[in-house]
Amino acid sequence: MEVSFAMTGKGYVLLAADTTAVHSIIKVKTDVDKIKELSPHLLMAYSGEPGDTVQFAEYVERNIRLYQIRHTYPLRPPSAASWIRRSLAESLRSRNPYSVNLLLGGYDTSTYTPHLYWMDYLGTLVEVPFAAHGYGSYFALSLLDRYHDPEATVEEGLAVLRRCLDEVSKRLVVSPGKYKVKIVDKDGIREVEL
Amino acid sequence: MSIMQYNGGSVIAMVGKDCVAIASDLRLGVQSLSISSNFEKIFPVTDRLYIGLPGLASDVTTLREQFRYRVNMYTIKEEREIEPQAFAQLVSSTLYEKRFGPYFIEPVIAGMQKTPSGSYAPFIAATDLIGCLNFAKDFVVAGTASEKLFGVAEGLWEPDLEAEDLFETISQTLLNAVDRDAFSGWGAIVHVITKDKIVILSSSAFISPGLGLAS
Amino acid sequence: MARRYDSRTTIFSPEGRLYQIEYAMEAISHAGSVLGVLSKDGIVLAAEKKVTGKLLDLSGSNQGGYGGSGEKIFMLNSNVVAGVAGITADANSLVNYARQAAQRHLFTYNEDIPVEVLAQRLCDLKQGYTQYGGLRPFGVSLLYAGYDPHYNFQLYHSDPSGNYSGWKATCVGANSGTAQSLLKQEYKDDITMDGAIDLVLRVMSKTMDSTTLGSEKLEFATLTLDPETKQPKARIYRPAEIDALLQKQGLGKKEEDTEMKS
Repeated sequence: MEVSFAMTGKGYVLLAADTTAVHSIIKVKTDVDKIKELSPHLLMAYSGEPGDTVQFAEYVERNIRLYQIRHTYPLRPPSAASWIRRSLAESLRSRNPYSVNLLLGGYDTSTYTPHLYWMDYLGTLVEVPFAAHGYGSYFALSLLDRYHDPEATVEEGLAVLRRCLDEVSKRLVVSPGKYKVKIVDKDGIREVEL
Repeated sequence: MSIMQYNGGSVIAMVGKDCVAIASDLRLGVQSLSISSNFEKIFPVTDRLYIGLPGLASDVTTLREQFRYRVNMYTIKEEREIEPQAFAQLVSSTLYEKRFGPYFIEPVIAGMQKTPSGSYAPFIAATDLIGCLNFAKDFVVAGTASEKLFGVAEGLWEPDLEAEDLFETISQTLLNAVDRDAFSGWGAIVHVITKDKIVILSSSAFISPGLGLAS
Repeated sequence: MARRYDSRTTIFSPEGRLYQIEYAMEAISHAGSVLGVLSKDGIVLAAEKKVTGKLLDLSGSNQGGYGGSGEKIFMLNSNVVAGVAGITADANSLVNYARQAAQRHLFTYNEDIPVEVLAQRLCDLKQGYTQYGGLRPFGVSLLYAGYDPHYNFQLYHSDPSGNYSGWKATCVGANSGTAQSLLKQEYKDDITMDGAIDLVLRVMSKTMDSTTLGSEKLEFATLTLDPETKQPKARIYRPAEIDALLQKQGLGKKEEDTEMKS
């Protein structure tokens, strides 16, 4: 079952997503990257209906890229989030809507602030200090209520993230084995090993 | 479970003496799981006019953006700000346009309407999700706690409340109603509008500290 | 020779020129001039009004609207003011288009339109009118004074061909050459907002036809950041405010003038 988490810290956003591709009851792949790098300072973790997810993520990726080519600078995280939200909201009332849930983490280089957005397939968009999608949310949100600190260093943030992943491994029957973790801050995007 | 209850949230508006107030909770949830305690549903339209949009959170944002666009275009073309009465009509027709595939929102409008003599009169209104307008003289409610809001407001509201008293009345009505509603709460925000000033207070300013909302 | 290549739509002449665009530019060089100066903490725009007279109804600029008489300086969006030079009717149509484009951007991206993006939108439209059949170009040059978080305060100029460029200080319209060279001499990179206001008014007073400046011949606007909200705040001066400003700068009508008249 798909699990994704994200949280903000002092000057950064952390995103983590499982790496399993599931078909019926079979794990067909365990090294899938479900966090797209939309622009130099924008990450998007996606989950939901297989097929829809990759199709929609690539559609978003190409459009964000096109904006950057046309205007030389990329969309700032709040604007990118609003544009993606409208795409999902319009899709919802179309003949076949995408069912994709997203976590959007970015660093705004013009105001020097990290942003994290929780978004679902209905087009619900809200800015949050931490977020989760999938069964992981039932475990992680209460942990994060207790341990999240918006002023935490990267090391402290990763330690809290590890708590969440450990809790999922311990309690969730269908827990994924591996995660990919990415971070975005003033220097851009990098992958971190847990 | 209706789609109207999916994200939770409630809004109330009340008339006072030469003032109006509009208030809402701040919860956003997915059924019984709370996602955010900072989801605003009340938006300024002009300096003297606010709209509250309880219902499906996706449509809250969609309609907020659509109303902002239409009001800005109105302001540009007319070279004046929209009046509450006209805005209520705009809200109604926007919703009725989608009569057979509606937005899942029940808007609440509160503002001060300019009178021909140049003074301002309190104005509140609410519509259902397809835009049937209800102009009330006392108060209007909407959202998942609407039944409770009706009950408490019926007991607490009285005519010609001054701004300070109206603030107290709407705050207590909202807080006590959403405390009994599992889908609303998690903070609140109140706007009091008089002819020349708007006071906005969020939950931290008038709710005693603690886990829940003290009443 | 020219007549063979400019009687119908815009087509190249054998020397590789587009006469219609050159004529449009010519129209602008007779128009009331518009001047813009960029400083670190704001932008100043001033424009010379040509349509004046005792019988002209100016109640619109005295109250209501955004300020200004609606002839030279316009609000395009909460973060952009523009000064126009050229055919006023064409300008009105462009202003309307710009306002719609800005609102569409706000609708799709939930942010104020970046200044350069707005200039690009208008230039795409202007360029189209230099190419598609049966149309004449817009006889309008614009100065855009705007703010966005990407590049903070910016001043752009666009012409009828659809070219645009960014400036620290520039001028369009009648006598723009003189104004341009004055600006070049006097502009300092560390100019303050007060310095910019002073510079704009001094250059304006030298390039305008009339001897004394006054609100009947001048439109004036500033774009600064609101110290409280940190949001851009455009201010198009009303006639009374312009006269007060000129008086303060020592450029207004002298008291003696009124005495002489009486």
